[in-house]
Amino acid sequence: MVNMICRCLLTVLLILPPAYAQNVIDLERRVSELEAKMRLVDPAFGRDSRASDLVARLEMLEKKLGEVLAAKKTEAQPSPAEATAASQPAQPPGQGLVPVSVSGDYQTSTGGETRLPVAGYMDFHLNKDSGDPFRPDFHRFVLLFGHSFSDRIKFWSELEVEHALVEGGEETGEVALEQAYLDFLIKPAFNIRAGMMLVPFGIVNERHEPPSFNGVERPFVETVIIPTTWRELGFGFTGDLGKGFRYRAYLTSSLDASRFNAEAGITEGRTAGFDSSFRNPAKMVRLEYAGMRRLTLGTSLYSGHAGFNTPGVNPRVTMAGFDGRYNYRRFDVRGLFANTWVSQAGELNRRLEQQFGVNPNVARQMRGYYLEPGVHVLPRRTRNDVILFTRYEKYNTQHRMPLGYLPLPQFNRSSWITGVTYKPNGDVAIKFDYVWNRNASQVVGAINGINLGIGWWF
Amino acid sequence: MRLFSIVLLCVGAVGQEPAARKPDRVISIVAERFTFSPSKIEVKQGELIEFVLTSDDTDHGFRIPGIGIDVAIPQSGKGEARVRFVAKEKGSYAFECSRPCGAGHNLMRGRIIVK
Ligand SMILES: [Cu+2]
Repeated sequence: MVNMICRCLLTVLLILPPAYAQNVIDLERRVSELEAKMRLVDPAFGRDSRASDLVARLEMLEKKLGEVLAAKKTEAQPSPAEATAASQPAQPPGQGLVPVSVSGDYQTSTGGETRLPVAGYMDFHLNKDSGDPFRPDFHRFVLLFGHSFSDRIKFWSELEVEHALVEGGEETGEVALEQAYLDFLIKPAFNIRAGMMLVPFGIVNERHEPPSFNGVERPFVETVIIPTTWRELGFGFTGDLGKGFRYRAYLTSSLDASRFNAEAGITEGRTAGFDSSFRNPAKMVRLEYAGMRRLTLGTSLYSGHAGFNTPGVNPRVTMAGFDGRYNYRRFDVRGLFANTWVSQAGELNRRLEQQFGVNPNVARQMRGYYLEPGVHVLPRRTRNDVILFTRYEKYNTQHRMPLGYLPLPQFNRSSWITGVTYKPNGDVAIKFDYVWNRNASQVVGAINGINLGIGWWF
Repeated sequence: MRLFSIVLLCVGAVGQEPAARKPDRVISIVAERFTFSPSKIEVKQGELIEFVLTSDDTDHGFRIPGIGIDVAIPQSGKGEARVRFVAKEKGSYAFECSRPCGAGHNLMRGRIIVK
């Protein structure tokens, strides 16, 4: 596995512009020269270090240079006040903070690790429905690229390869630009964001790195009620309001109602920025409170017309959600509630039946919620972390039907998911869970499943 | 620029003799995707401040643009980073996460208000 990642990254490095590679080689040479010079001052410098990456080597140089200068200057400048004054001319004008020292575990934390120029995460799953064999699935391979044009203009992107190896080697995967946006930082409470952005709804859509949630697959509610990964083109405002409150308010491309259906609700209506419409931009806002340690509460609202592909019918999709995460000692709990309203659902069903010949039986209300308690079974000071968790989910994409339409009971579903997340490192999660699915139908049975997964962030 | 920062850092280190002087205030800051808590820190002019930086999840970074402070905050359970500085002039100074940590990284920021 490690080999494979290395090979992938090597490929990425090889296709970077040659100028970049040249810069790295150049930097590496200059750092080596500096190290050689430092050895003239202290022959023991770097003798027992195994640091291989440039950042760690630079940090060691920083530290050593500090020590050397300190040894020299303490004799000449006995008074700290004088020394502060002496350091003033070296600061850029207007700098009112004077750095003094850096200590702690920040250096040892990178010891033996390699810091890569990109970040990313990966997710490898083995899924098994009862009665079927295990299906391997390289579910997600995501590379993240960020860039600061200046202290005020920043870029962020995620490039995703989904389902790279799917059953029987069929090519049903996708390569997608998951996010690509610019942030213009203006004031803490007011910043502008524009591009392809994640819809700020629920917990997992924006916080989807595998070690940050329990369970191999994302929660069902955050798959069929809140369609993760949900991304749209648009722009908006975001900021920190103080006292732990933050907000995001966006105008984005809209959903496509011609792809709504009974089973997955509005999920298939995501346009992911392709073919999307900005004639009637959707509005969304999320308010978050993180002012108490280990508690995060959030509420999201979404509203937008979705009829750009259904002439004569222009349903409005409204969504409201509440979510929270809390951690007390070795206990975690997270939960979420989301409700969706689709206006003109009856007209939409008739229109789509005319268009495609099948009634999609779209509901006028969909609802889902889940609650997930978890416990860290090992004491806090141990290196490894083992979390046992259980999640109960209820999700009904046929919650309220328009006049003249009956709900399909097999889509009134609930699930118990219970399992374990083992983290040998904070950024690596090995997951196992068992899923009991139920639905309200007397005819269509639900299938249980076992999932095994390994996901990591780097 | 990097080298300039190193020099700055070292000059600072010399001037204050950090080991010799006790900080006027020690403030704990917890980093978690995608926030620093607290994100607004008020200090008095002239104080020697020490930030104790820990993470509740993955590795983050702590950078104060323009003054050469940029340290890695180790991931949860792997210790802390300590940063000392003197709040010399009144004003508002931004700090930010300097290690890409996910979708909200660009706005993982806070402010130091020197009064
Ligand atoms: Cu961060």
